[in-house]
Amino acid sequence: MKISLNWLNDYLTEKIDNDKLVENYNLKSQEVEGLYPLVEASKLTIGYVRTCQAHENADKLSVCQVDVGEKTLQIICGAPNVDKGQKVIVALPGAVLPGNFKIKKAKIRGVESNGMICSLSEIGVADFDKKETGIYVLDGDAEIGKDPLKYMGLDDTVLELDLTANRPDLLSMRGVAYDVKAMFDVDIKFNKPEVKREKAEEEINIFTETKDASVYYGQIIKDIKIKESPYWLKSRLLASGIRPVNNVVDITNYVMLEYSQPLHAFDFAKINSNKIIVRKAYKNESIITLDNIKRKLLESDIVITDGEKPIALAGVMGGEETEVSDSTKAILLESAVFDPISVRKTSKRLALKSESSSRFEKGLNYELTLEALNRACELLVKLADARIVGEPSFFNNAKKIKQQFTLNLEKLNTVTGYNFDKELVKNILRRLDFDYKLKDNEFIVNVPSRRVNFESYQDVIEEIVRIHGYDKIPITLPTTPTLGKLTEKQQFKRDLRNYFTGLGFFETNTYTLTNKEKATKYDNSQKSLVKIMNPITTDREYLQHSLIPSLIDVLAYNEARKINDVFLFEIGKSYTKENEIELISGLLHGRYNYSLWQKELNYADFYLAKGIIESLFKNLKIYDYKFKVPEKELVNLHPGISTEIYIEDEKIGWLGKIHPEEEKNLEIKDIFAFELEIDKVFESHNKANRNFQEIVKFPSVSRDIAIVVNKEIPATELIETINNISNNSLKSIEVFDVYEGDKLSNDKKSIALTLVFENKEKTLETNDVEKMLKRIIKALNEEHNATLRQ
Amino acid sequence: MKEKINNLVEEALNALDKAKKINQLMMLKSKYLGKKSQFNDFMKELKNLPNEEKPVVGKMVNIGKNKINQKIEEVKQKIEKAKINQKLKEETIDVTLPGKNISYGKKHIFTQTIEEIENIFIGLGYEIKEGPEIEEDKYNFEMLNLPKNHPARDMQDSLYISEDILLRTHTSPVQVRSLLENAKKKPVKIISPGRVYRKDDDDQTHSHQFGQVEALVVDKKTSLADLKGTLLMVAKSLFGEEREIRLRPSYFPFTEPSVEVDVSCYKCNGSGCSMCKNTGWIEILGAGMVNNNVLKSCGYDPKKYQGFAIGFGVERIAMLRYGIDDIRLLYTNDLRFNSQF
Repeated sequence: MKISLNWLNDYLTEKIDNDKLVENYNLKSQEVEGLYPLVEASKLTIGYVRTCQAHENADKLSVCQVDVGEKTLQIICGAPNVDKGQKVIVALPGAVLPGNFKIKKAKIRGVESNGMICSLSEIGVADFDKKETGIYVLDGDAEIGKDPLKYMGLDDTVLELDLTANRPDLLSMRGVAYDVKAMFDVDIKFNKPEVKREKAEEEINIFTETKDASVYYGQIIKDIKIKESPYWLKSRLLASGIRPVNNVVDITNYVMLEYSQPLHAFDFAKINSNKIIVRKAYKNESIITLDNIKRKLLESDIVITDGEKPIALAGVMGGEETEVSDSTKAILLESAVFDPISVRKTSKRLALKSESSSRFEKGLNYELTLEALNRACELLVKLADARIVGEPSFFNNAKKIKQQFTLNLEKLNTVTGYNFDKELVKNILRRLDFDYKLKDNEFIVNVPSRRVNFESYQDVIEEIVRIHGYDKIPITLPTTPTLGKLTEKQQFKRDLRNYFTGLGFFETNTYTLTNKEKATKYDNSQKSLVKIMNPITTDREYLQHSLIPSLIDVLAYNEARKINDVFLFEIGKSYTKENEIELISGLLHGRYNYSLWQKELNYADFYLAKGIIESLFKNLKIYDYKFKVPEKELVNLHPGISTEIYIEDEKIGWLGKIHPEEEKNLEIKDIFAFELEIDKVFESHNKANRNFQEIVKFPSVSRDIAIVVNKEIPATELIETINNISNNSLKSIEVFDVYEGDKLSNDKKSIALTLVFENKEKTLETNDVEKMLKRIIKALNEEHNATLRQ
Repeated sequence: MKEKINNLVEEALNALDKAKKINQLMMLKSKYLGKKSQFNDFMKELKNLPNEEKPVVGKMVNIGKNKINQKIEEVKQKIEKAKINQKLKEETIDVTLPGKNISYGKKHIFTQTIEEIENIFIGLGYEIKEGPEIEEDKYNFEMLNLPKNHPARDMQDSLYISEDILLRTHTSPVQVRSLLENAKKKPVKIISPGRVYRKDDDDQTHSHQFGQVEALVVDKKTSLADLKGTLLMVAKSLFGEEREIRLRPSYFPFTEPSVEVDVSCYKCNGSGCSMCKNTGWIEILGAGMVNNNVLKSCGYDPKKYQGFAIGFGVERIAMLRYGIDDIRLLYTNDLRFNSQF
């Protein structure tokens, strides 16, 4: 809301310092967006063009002798419409115009020029008069040597407020005046409009068929002379951010700004009946609106009709058929209240938001419907020589909404933590112009209708606190005795983050909305996708099933910027229609803990990724995990370099190399990724025995064996066999060599293992170990046809 | 005889001094002190000497032998030391060459900010509650005093999945759920961090996805003054011990009164600079006293209970603290950005 301070001051009995106004608005009412002069120009004066002759060296320039009061200045002017006898706006040498345009004495094509004759756009108010194309010519009453801005009413300051949705009262200048009164405890004054009505000449009947129109006044006004508005009116509209058009339109806008009551004028001659019926639109009905667009209507739209067809979309836009034109002589002026929600729906659907519609949407003060109409009539008589014919026709079904709230003084004080006494509350309510009765400790407050949408005594508390000042509220802390701590799961997620950052992974923060292709790209679950009904773009239309596409995007982004060693992780979610599953996902690419000059390059590979996950499990005391060869190929992963991860025979995630086809498209090689379900890992971790385990006192014994098996037998199966046969006596198994080659037949490989044996009760004898080894080798032979390598 | 012994000792000492290696030394040792050495011969000759000379010569022989032994030890140590020095010299490396590139990682600034806010509130006794991002209109709007067609819904343009399901526009539905779950209507003191969504085009200051941390306290006497005290503690913790706060009226449908909270500018200390647009204050968050309609819809009697709520924008706090001027940087994951925090 842009507030003309000249206008505001009309209502105030004393002037308020601008800085104080800004400070109080910020701290007690609404945020101030800015305070600035309507026209940012200095050293302007009204001049009289005494003579105007062609420039000797330039066709398009004129040399003018301009009387500026104390003296006559020679000014070169390039405007085609400059002429002697005009009163004009002169920028004197030293003047600064908008855009920091400085006016200096100068020679233009050899002739001296002492200033500039200004157009409206040069002083930043082109909208003041759209017809003007060259310099602006003032009317005959302008006084030479005086300030043209003051003469035109442009010597104004604008206070721009960022209004919150609960303060539609500040959409009217009168509402602003009430607010200032409450903040500064100053008196305000309003004039009641005076209208002289003539005898009725014809009858017009107005009624409604819908509850969504509660009040409607229609006034016939005749003999209107449509013309330009006077300077003061144009200036005030400009200061309020509204472009002047002609006197009738300007008056309706002015009254809207004054009362927040939108008005609409129909060309009375173009209404083909003697009645106005307000109703809901019929099915398949349409209207051509003022902007010359045919609008299809819905049954939820409120329309103004002439008894047959719609002639306006209530509160949103008038119809073209009854539009006021320059030749209009008589109008029907509408001042009405329509249902906020209905207007909101219509204006939103048709994308026709306007100053009017937004006021209807936020709720009007139905006590001012008639007064606003009368104010417009008063101005139309004054500024358009109009005749107000007959009393207005109307219906008024407004139910008086009683906004009465009981405010208990004790509640006020427990809610605020401040000690308000009765006198203080009384004083604030008086400043707010809220009626009240005091009964014991309770204020029964009647909130006036200009403050619509109060819901409870809480709104009254807000008014009292803001007017008294938030700075006066003391500082205390809640006394609720509670223990603050992370849940185990929350701590677990922090630990996961610490684990991966500790290993050199950067955490990413990516978008969860993506396109259809990426949403399922690395997802094997085949669960339903969640689609946004009203997406911002198709690239943000679906919720992700996997974080890997986002991590790959991050890799590609960095790779393109020559950052080639990229280790990433993120904790995020897979979103399906049924639930949201928390994931931890990672990506490995490039060199890891490397040293160039030592020729240790350590490129990320499958086993690095796997080792990191294995260590994670050990760290979490999870031991019953398996990396299985997938039964079905995992989507978009290398079929031979990917594995499914199981904990206690439940699938909890996967790990693998991105499919070479994908890598080719990305032009990045060797990308490894993993994705684990956090809940399942957490569950298993949570079950782990956390009690202290006694450290074995007896020394362990280690033995190396190398076995030869068929190539296709996975190492885990061998390890599993060994684990099964050796019960608790085996402390660890480690693979230290894998060999395929000339020394073996083509279909064989050799795997060398270090087995570490341990017994909690005694020192192992060589005998015991040999026995166990024999059993192991026998089992390997039986189950996998393995032989000891000689 | 005596002269012979002296000459021999002198000869041996000279020879030993010249020894450069341990085996050389050992050979000299056996030459001068071994079974076939001259000293051995002297010992054999000793018995042929007159009795009075025997002890004198015997002593001379022993002294001579000792001298040689001492020398051997001395030279041996010298040789060994030289050997060690040689080895150390050979092992010397260029310590100025770079070390191995040990990969290091960082938590994202987004997470760091959330964790820091969480830690402050944990210290003040708050629990942390989480909830779904795909949320029912009921929890996201209706029970928060935002019925359908409420104009204030325009403040939060939403991404809908169906008529009644949407991506939550704030973490407030977690508050509703927490209040509803609290069947015995005990006091509640929680924060709810998480991702939220709005139908906004991404630009320098807008993001369709962003983070929020909301705080909620509901109890019998929880007051605006308590809110102010809590905000002051949090502001000091996040922006420095010197900070002050101020409250300005605002509007949120779920709180009444509602306030915007400013912190005194930490760059200019309130004297006015470009950071605070010469106001001395920087807006950091919104807060307010819980609207009675919210309490009622969650089964709390507003006559008995009251409370406050606070809403942080995670990115806003991070951007203010580190002087980041584009919210998209927090979602781009340029590692030159991520590695800075």
